[in-house]
Amino acid sequence: MKSQVAADRLRDLRSVTDAALAYLPLDDLLNELLGRVVGILDADTAAILLLDDDESTLVARAAKGLEEEVERGVRVPVGQGFAGRIAATRQPVQIENLDNAEIVNPILRKRGLRSLLGVPLVVEGGVIGVMHVGTLVERKFSKEDVALLQSAGDRAALAISSRLTERERGLADALQSSLIPPLPELPGLALAGRYLPAASAQLGGDWYDAFQLPDGRLGMAIGDVVGRGFYAAAVMGQLRSGLRAYALDGIAPSEVLGRLSRLLRQLVPGRTATALYLVLDPYGGSLVVSSAGHPPPLVAGDSGPTFVDLPGSAPLGATRHPTYEDRQHPIEPGSTLLLYTDGLVERPGESLDAGLERLRTVIGRGGDELEGLGDSLVDGLLPDGPAQDDAALLLARGLPLTDSLLTRLPADVESIPLIRRLLGRWLREAGATQAEAEDLSLATSEACANAIEHAYGPAAGILEVSASLSLGGEALVAVRDFGNWRQPRGVNRGRGLALMEGLTDAVDVVRGEDGTTVQLSRRLGAEAA
Amino acid sequence: MSANVELDHRDSVGVARLSGDVDIVQAGVLRKKLLSAVSNDDLGLVVDLSAAGYIDSVGVSLLFELAERLSDRQLRFAVVMPDGGLVQRVLTIVKLDSVAEVHPDLDAALAALRSGA
Repeated sequence: MKSQVAADRLRDLRSVTDAALAYLPLDDLLNELLGRVVGILDADTAAILLLDDDESTLVARAAKGLEEEVERGVRVPVGQGFAGRIAATRQPVQIENLDNAEIVNPILRKRGLRSLLGVPLVVEGGVIGVMHVGTLVERKFSKEDVALLQSAGDRAALAISSRLTERERGLADALQSSLIPPLPELPGLALAGRYLPAASAQLGGDWYDAFQLPDGRLGMAIGDVVGRGFYAAAVMGQLRSGLRAYALDGIAPSEVLGRLSRLLRQLVPGRTATALYLVLDPYGGSLVVSSAGHPPPLVAGDSGPTFVDLPGSAPLGATRHPTYEDRQHPIEPGSTLLLYTDGLVERPGESLDAGLERLRTVIGRGGDELEGLGDSLVDGLLPDGPAQDDAALLLARGLPLTDSLLTRLPADVESIPLIRRLLGRWLREAGATQAEAEDLSLATSEACANAIEHAYGPAAGILEVSASLSLGGEALVAVRDFGNWRQPRGVNRGRGLALMEGLTDAVDVVRGEDGTTVQLSRRLGAEAA
Repeated sequence: MSANVELDHRDSVGVARLSGDVDIVQAGVLRKKLLSAVSNDDLGLVVDLSAAGYIDSVGVSLLFELAERLSDRQLRFAVVMPDGGLVQRVLTIVKLDSVAEVHPDLDAALAALRSGA
């Protein structure tokens, strides 16, 4: 009897998928499964196509009698052609005669196939791919054939899904750690970041970044690519790199976002993302910010937490010629700057304003230490753990400077603008005029440049800068290196020395066993000698 | 501020407007652009520093190098120096006026170069 035959076939399939193949690598499992399907249904070809991460294309993954399809990485848009229609409708599709059918994949015709039967691969209500069989002679597949293929498909879907999840977990960990950047360490500034994946995925499209700019200021970025999983994370990684590359050119934040929008349109047409980029002068008391459809940063200082007032703007990639604007905002030493994504503030069935108000409340309670504040924000805003959407936040706070300054930085030219800005802030807080602060900071930069160029040896990698006020009202700055000293050469360093002497009251070079110290002094509140 | 050069041409005189920090970190990028700003058909070059907030010894050396190259090609060199700030104090200490004509604004620099004064 025919039904008895079908039941036998199904039992065959079950035993194959449930037991014997369970320990095979996924590709071997699929190949073996397709071989069995071809045999049982007396077909000539069989293939599995899986939905790509962007969920709009099917990609050939395994095949029997159609190996070329996999080798060429055949891609079929969802909704088009034979396989595309199965994925879009989630229904089995049968084609009796290929001559009269719309087919996307030319390999099917080239192979001489006459009839096709395909079923959707469904996991937890979602389509993950398509399995189909083909015959070289024209054939009308029976209801039992359809049911049998669907059973095989269901079992394949489960195997694929659990294997993918396993594989994704390892990849996700690797990708995640490569996408969460180490934050730069700058003297007098604390930074903290948090990334919280959505409950349903380990990876998402939210990101943040912070990096030192060539002029010693700090670039801070945050953004949100719609979607989750590998695809959103990959787009996010490209945007993060793109933003950093544009930002390092030193252009205005609005211009960085304009270029990033063009980049996104070219990389992934149709995809949009929100982003916010700002340049913080941690020692100068201001920031310049621009937003592409992203919620405004929060500044919490003595006068309470306030959102930076930003004009409305289009997300990245949304329009061909977006115009972004720069806004300047003051930020006092000691106040906290918070960048966040909407996943931190949005809750289902609640207005965005309510979430923003909650943010103000939590940050208004303060917290003496930035990492602790990061934890409080996560606990206070997402009390039930990961939500539907992923979330990211980035915090920055200028630390109060002490009476005497001591900082150690890599002996690298990139440290020079940092030292100059840090020392400038310390000098102004110590009562120096603008001109005095500028002069002494420049003289210090020259001393640092000397040390970087002329100190060498195993311990030459560190530069130490200290500053203090004498009882007599003199600012004293010492630049110390830990290398052996080579005599400064060339007209360039000669000018550096001339500037040090011209901009301070006294320059002393003390050479010791373990390095050289250049001491600079300048009386504050008086013109340079 | 990140340094930038804007190049312009005003009746046979090249004009290079420098903005931001002309310093050891950014001089390399500026140098390339500045050296390409001079054409032999020109009377000379004006470097406008009114929008520059900072210059260090490496930036100064760049100006001296430029002066030498222009002088080799018998072209004139003028610098517009902002009044009363750090840049003026620095350029005075290193005696930039020994190799360049120093003017308070761009119009004065252009007029001087054209008149041959």
